[in-house]
Amino acid sequence: MSAVDLARLQFALTTSFHFLFVLLTLGLVTLLVIMQTRFTLTGAPVHERMTRFWGRIYVINYALGIVTGIVMEFQFGLNWSGLATYAGDVFGAPLALETLIAFFLESTFLGLWIFGWGRLNRWVHLALLYLTALTAFASAFWIMAANGFLQHPVGYRVDGNVLRLEDFSALLSNPTFTSALMHVVFASITVGGVFLTGVSAYHFIRRTPEVDFFRRSLRMGVVTTALATPPLIGAGFAQFPVIAQYQPGKSEAASWIGAPLGFMILIGMMLTMVSWLTLPLLIKDAVIRMRFPLYLMVIGIPLPFAAAIFGWLFREIGRQPWLIYGLLRTEDAVSHVDASQILLSLIVFTSLFVVLACVDWALIARAVRRGPDVAPAPVSPLVVTL
Amino acid sequence: METLWLVVLGVLTVGYFALAGFDYGTGLLLPFRGRAETLQRMTPFFLGNEVWLVAAVGVLFAAFPRLEGELLSGAHSTFTLILAGLVLFMAAVQLRLWWWLVFTGALTVSVGWGLFLAHLVDAPWPVALVMPVLFAAHGWVFQHRRWALFPVTALLCALPIPLAFSSIDVTGLMAHPDTLSLLAWVAIPIIPLVVVLQWSTVAISSR
Repeated sequence: MSAVDLARLQFALTTSFHFLFVLLTLGLVTLLVIMQTRFTLTGAPVHERMTRFWGRIYVINYALGIVTGIVMEFQFGLNWSGLATYAGDVFGAPLALETLIAFFLESTFLGLWIFGWGRLNRWVHLALLYLTALTAFASAFWIMAANGFLQHPVGYRVDGNVLRLEDFSALLSNPTFTSALMHVVFASITVGGVFLTGVSAYHFIRRTPEVDFFRRSLRMGVVTTALATPPLIGAGFAQFPVIAQYQPGKSEAASWIGAPLGFMILIGMMLTMVSWLTLPLLIKDAVIRMRFPLYLMVIGIPLPFAAAIFGWLFREIGRQPWLIYGLLRTEDAVSHVDASQILLSLIVFTSLFVVLACVDWALIARAVRRGPDVAPAPVSPLVVTL
Repeated sequence: METLWLVVLGVLTVGYFALAGFDYGTGLLLPFRGRAETLQRMTPFFLGNEVWLVAAVGVLFAAFPRLEGELLSGAHSTFTLILAGLVLFMAAVQLRLWWWLVFTGALTVSVGWGLFLAHLVDAPWPVALVMPVLFAAHGWVFQHRRWALFPVTALLCALPIPLAFSSIDVTGLMAHPDTLSLLAWVAIPIIPLVVVLQWSTVAISSR
């Protein structure tokens, strides 16, 4: 394989791993906001316990996800130095805003939320979670703005052999950005809903004594999925006219590109249908007493993750052979480094990320199994304080 | 405007290395100390430094686009080593399964930064050992609460790489003033805000 192929494979792998963590982070933080708001308003212990239990899982996932994000960020400079050289003035702006406004602040708010548990005024503590959620979605906002520029470059002027920032607001009204942002936001909320449903169903399969706790969580998961999937699908289909206008050749970029798109649509439709069918079954807990839907709910946990990866494959492979559509070819942006160096980093990062994903899964599974009350002692040092 | 961005990049890099000393230093000292207590002391600071690194690289990309790619791809394998060490260290601290994995991660990151330093100043590779030694010293000062020495070792950890950076001539490598002034509105208020918030986290957790 050439340096370009290796660098592309590495980017695809690290982005996919990173995206798995991001989806769960965004989905869970949204639901945590609802849980903690209810706790702060009512003072009912069940809401506090829900915030703690789901908060532990959220923190485990966040802390491991950060690592994948760091590698992602370095990768631009390591393997794709042509991108910064040519378009850093324009593409770099939303990227830097993401690190400063979103990630830098998000982590700091989250740190204060973790260590402030029980030590801060509860309204201040709630405000910190709101700020964490807000900055988490700001992250999605800026990253999608940067990605939208790659799909359909706007707001630039050509100056010699580099691009300069001409109109920053054009980047924010870019049609390939706005519709895709909504799609990603609702995809992550769907992930949160399906995850909550599946984990709660697992506890009912094991005949948990925590009936009230997981009954509430399961309901919240089903309702969230039912509410998030219609706008998710709407925002998905809203992108087809945009693609037809700005990237007419997208579905012919590779012969197999239709497959991931098809699977993604199929999963989206299925989740919508199943969640709406489950809604009436929530009455008198019919769905829990029937038992067999519980197994489907557990099996369903990976589905929205898979759909999201399929969606990204379509979006990014469909852009080829361009890195910045119509302006910069992928092969022209790769760094002047030896293919063997890229191969080395590909092997190192991929194996570490596989381990990381397994560790994340194992730690979350352990926190899930131990249930709401037991502190999962030898987990992340951050989690111990929750 | 150019000076402002050099200062911003300098502050973020100094922030990272000054904070990194506790973490990596603590990791390096693990074979010689009581493990549980040593790690416990590090907890409120854990991940506190990485956010500075991410912010620094973000600024490097947007404000110094012609420098970023050259700098990173020019030391490709060194950064592979640094990042591998980072991943290992952060995962190992959270797993708390094998302390020697934490140690290995910390050692890999510190040697990696040492190699990067040697690469920047064109020095022979043994210079790389400077960083692990400095980090370990800073970790020792932190763990033994020798607060009088603390600012000294923090500065010793923080300064080598930003100083080596300052030998690079950035003329012509920076972004256009249009991009720089847009980002200045964001960077200037946020950095002090993060300092205050991180300080509060430490203050609260030690209450």
